[in-house]
This record gives sequence, C-alpha cells and structure tokens, in this order.
Amino acid sequence: MKRIYLHPLALRIWHWANALMVILLLITGIELRIPGVAALPVNSPALLAHRYTGWSMAISSLFWFVYSLMSGNLSRHYVIRKGDLKGILRQMKFYLLSIFRGEENPFRASPDERFNPLQKLAYGTIMCVFTPIIVVTGLFFSDMLFFRKYILLLNAMKVLDAIHVIVAYMFALYLIVHIYMATLGRKASSHIKAMIVGYEEEFDEPDMMVSYKEGPGEPDATTKMISPDKTASCQECHTEKEGANVDG
Amino acid sequence: MDKHDEKTEILEPAFGSSSLNPFCSRRQFLKVSGVSIIGISALGPVLARGATKPLIIMEKAQGIVVADPIKCVGCGRCELACTEFNDGKAAPTRSRIKVDRNLNFGPKDVFAFREGQGNWGNGLIVQDFCVQCPHPVPCADACPEDAIVASPTGNVRVVDPNKCNGCKICLKACPWEMISFDPDSRKATKCFLCNGKPKCVEACPAESLSYVPWRDLTNKVPRRIATTAVIPPRKDAACQECHLPGAQKNLRQGMLSLFWEQVKDGKPASMRNIGSKWIDLVGVVLLPLVLIFVILHAGLRTVVKR
Repeated sequence: MKRIYLHPLALRIWHWANALMVILLLITGIELRIPGVAALPVNSPALLAHRYTGWSMAISSLFWFVYSLMSGNLSRHYVIRKGDLKGILRQMKFYLLSIFRGEENPFRASPDERFNPLQKLAYGTIMCVFTPIIVVTGLFFSDMLFFRKYILLLNAMKVLDAIHVIVAYMFALYLIVHIYMATLGRKASSHIKAMIVGYEEEFDEPDMMVSYKEGPGEPDATTKMISPDKTASCQECHTEKEGANVDG
Repeated sequence: MDKHDEKTEILEPAFGSSSLNPFCSRRQFLKVSGVSIIGISALGPVLARGATKPLIIMEKAQGIVVADPIKCVGCGRCELACTEFNDGKAAPTRSRIKVDRNLNFGPKDVFAFREGQGNWGNGLIVQDFCVQCPHPVPCADACPEDAIVASPTGNVRVVDPNKCNGCKICLKACPWEMISFDPDSRKATKCFLCNGKPKCVEACPAESLSYVPWRDLTNKVPRRIATTAVIPPRKDAACQECHLPGAQKNLRQGMLSLFWEQVKDGKPASMRNIGSKWIDLVGVVLLPLVLIFVILHAGLRTVVKR
C-alpha cells in the first residue's frame, strides 16, 4: 500500500470552504427564486446571506484562480490534452458499464495527473466557465451603482437573471453527481478522506489489498534466495535431511 | 530681430494691399477680442456674486426634533400644529415638519426585493424635519441675501423675513427639501423649533416626536424601517387567511404555478405569459432526472455486486 499526496492543503481548504458556500448559496438562492417567495424585503436574512456568501465565493474563486495559475495547478491538471477524448470515452464506458461488472477504474490518480479526462472536463467547465459566469452576473446584481446604472440602461436584468439561475441549476446538478461520484472509490469514503487528509491510499495489486485487509502475512520463504556457496555454512546446523537433526 | 522683420514683411502686404477688403483687419480683431476677454473676466466676480462668497459657519443648534417611525401613526397633527402656530391656519403643504407615506416604488422592471427603502419607497410613513445642519449649512450658503441666520435663541437656522426675497434657491439647496415656501407672503420659511418649544412635539399623540439636544448623527442614523412590527394575536388570525402555514403555502403555490398558469378572467393564460418561469422549469425537470439517474446507478451497482 502506498499513500499518494494528491491534494495540497490550500486546495483542500478551498474545496471545503467552497462546498459550504455553494450549498449555502443554493439554499438561499432557491428561496429567493421560487415565485411567491421572491418578493423579499431588502433586509431578509435569505437575501443578506446570499449576498454575503456570494461575495465570499467571488473572493475564494479569485484565490483559486490566482493560486492555480501561480502553482501550475491549472496548466497541469485542468488543460485537456491530446488523447483525452479517448480517455473521456474510456471513463464514460467505465462509469456506465464496466463499473457494474466490478472492474477496476482504468485511471490511476497520481500527483502528476490528479484527474481523469472526464474529471478534467467537468472540473474545467465548472471552474473556468460556470464559476466566472455566476460570479460576474452575481456581481452585476450587487449594489455597485457603477454597474447597476448600465444594467438598468440596457434593461439586461432579466437576461442576467436567467443566466445566473440556469448556471445555478447547473451547479446543483453538478453537486449531485459530484457527491455521488466521490463515493465511487475503493471504499465509499476513500475519495472523501483523500480530500480531507490529502493522501489517497493506493494499492498496486488486488492481492496486496487482500493481504492488507487480513493483516501482515507470514514472510514468504520462496523469495529468500541464498547463494549456493553460502548454504555450506548453513549446513553446519541445518543438515540436508531435516530428520537427521531431529534424531540428533 | 531677423524673425521680426520677416514677420512684418509677410504681414504688411497682406494687410496693406489686400484686394479682399475684409470687414476688419486681423489687428482690429485681436484688439477687440482681447478687450472683450478682459472685460468678461472683469465681469466674472460680478456675475458670480454669491457663488464665491465664503462658506457660512454658524454655531451648532442646541436642540432638534426627532421621530420614532415605529410609534408614528401618520395622523399629521404635527403638521397642523406647526402651521397653526406659524401661519395661523391649518396648511399642511407649507408645514415645516413633513409626514408622508413613502410611495415611490423605484425604477421600472426592478425586482421587488431590490427596491430598497427610504427614497426608493417601501410604503412606510416617513417623518422629515430640518436637521439643523452644523456645517456647511446648504440653505444659508445658497441664499443670495444672507437671509438664513442662526437665531439668538438656540442657534437654530431661521429665515429672516425682512431679508428674504422669495427666490426659492434655498428650497433647491436643501438636500432634504425641508424648506417650505409661503405662497401668501412669497417668502421661504423653515423650522426654527418654535423658539425651543416645538409645537409638533406637543401635538404628537403617539409620542413619536421628541425634542432632544442636538448631536451629530452623520452615518449613525438607524434605518427608517419598522423592524419589529408587532401584530396583536386577534389581528394575526386575519393575516393567516393569506399567509398560512407560513412560507410553506407560498412555496407550494409557487412550485405549482410553475406548471399550471393561474386562470385569469375565466380563461387560462397562454404560454406567452410564461415569463421567466422556463428558467425554473429547466431546473425543476433536470434536477429530479439527475437524482433518479444517480439513485438508479447506485442501486444497480449494489444489486450487481451481490
């Protein structure tokens, strides 16, 4: 069993903070959104929570982008490369078919390649397309008069609202799938644990996994190679015939 | 000097022997324009009389009237008392204290929850009165006749009717529009706290108004919104005809109205009136689909494993 360091501390903290914020934003957002409850007063807790959490998420997304660009996280793990299309198809086949047959995931995460091609596509879309859209449209709703003047001038509030809400629903869809697929590791908790402690437990072969599960086994005698010229000294105590020793 | 000679060489024939015969020469034009520039700039201080005068600094007022918007019932007796004392008749339009219901609903096509409060209009009763600005005093600074002065009793800002010429500049200068105009005498008039015994405070039946020592509340004024609206239980029952049980009913109605347009005037509304509901339909349809897919996937996985 190996332990692979997959997720840096900064990204782990960001991930869980972001998870909390997205869930909060979705809950408060749906309350603002459902018709009939939409006519909320300015100081309603749902609106205030949505606003402040939105600002926090804007800042944390900015942090993510700066960190990812500076550390090479974005260029190493998110850029889709040649051959990834095949990989996407391979992963889709695995998740839709092979997984039911109990087959192994064809992708092995490593510090150099943290995400499989399908993950790359999903996370890249979420972080580089959806998050900027939802943050920017959200900022346009805020009380920054500099923005609002032009929004009202263009009568673009409804368009922005439609974009914001549709992307928010995409976030909700993504959240469901993301949480479910996080449980598809070796154990249901292994990916989630990796996201908390940073290390993913990696087993090289299925047999090793079994032996690990049963505890450390006996040292394997067959792998002990003693060169023939050294065996002579052994035979001072261990004669060729075990029986002779016993008799002695 | 060579350059000067060159210039005269070019200019002299141009002016002296010109066959065009312009209505004025360049020299004349320059003379006249120079004189007029000097003349206009000399006129400047005359034209800008009042604009460049130094800011008026007054002693701080000793007292001020403040209102508690939660207690105010909007009866308007303060306005009547004010005009009765000052004008000898009930004339709320020229009252120095202004009580009104705030019904400015803001720009069109803005969401209901974005309309804000105060001048954006939330339907609450607002009480406005002169705040006795310490410095600058916009009305006094704007007055061309220096008619707004600090009164000897309490240093309140008061219009001197002998100096006021009724130009209404102070009405525009006040950021809170608290200067009234008396159409009979054609003079501006403003709150002077009735010489330390405000009649509006005496008249208030709800104890909303009070006369307190003046202090600076810049950036400290609490929101003008009744946050603790207390409804007595017997009236609460009537509210529940529409608001029961809490937000759940609204939520259910809202979700239902996504799929069924409410019938109006005996005929169902067409799809054209769907508005922005399609956005939520996208989510309401997609979310359960994905959820069902995920549950099926998980279920199938466990079943096959066995």
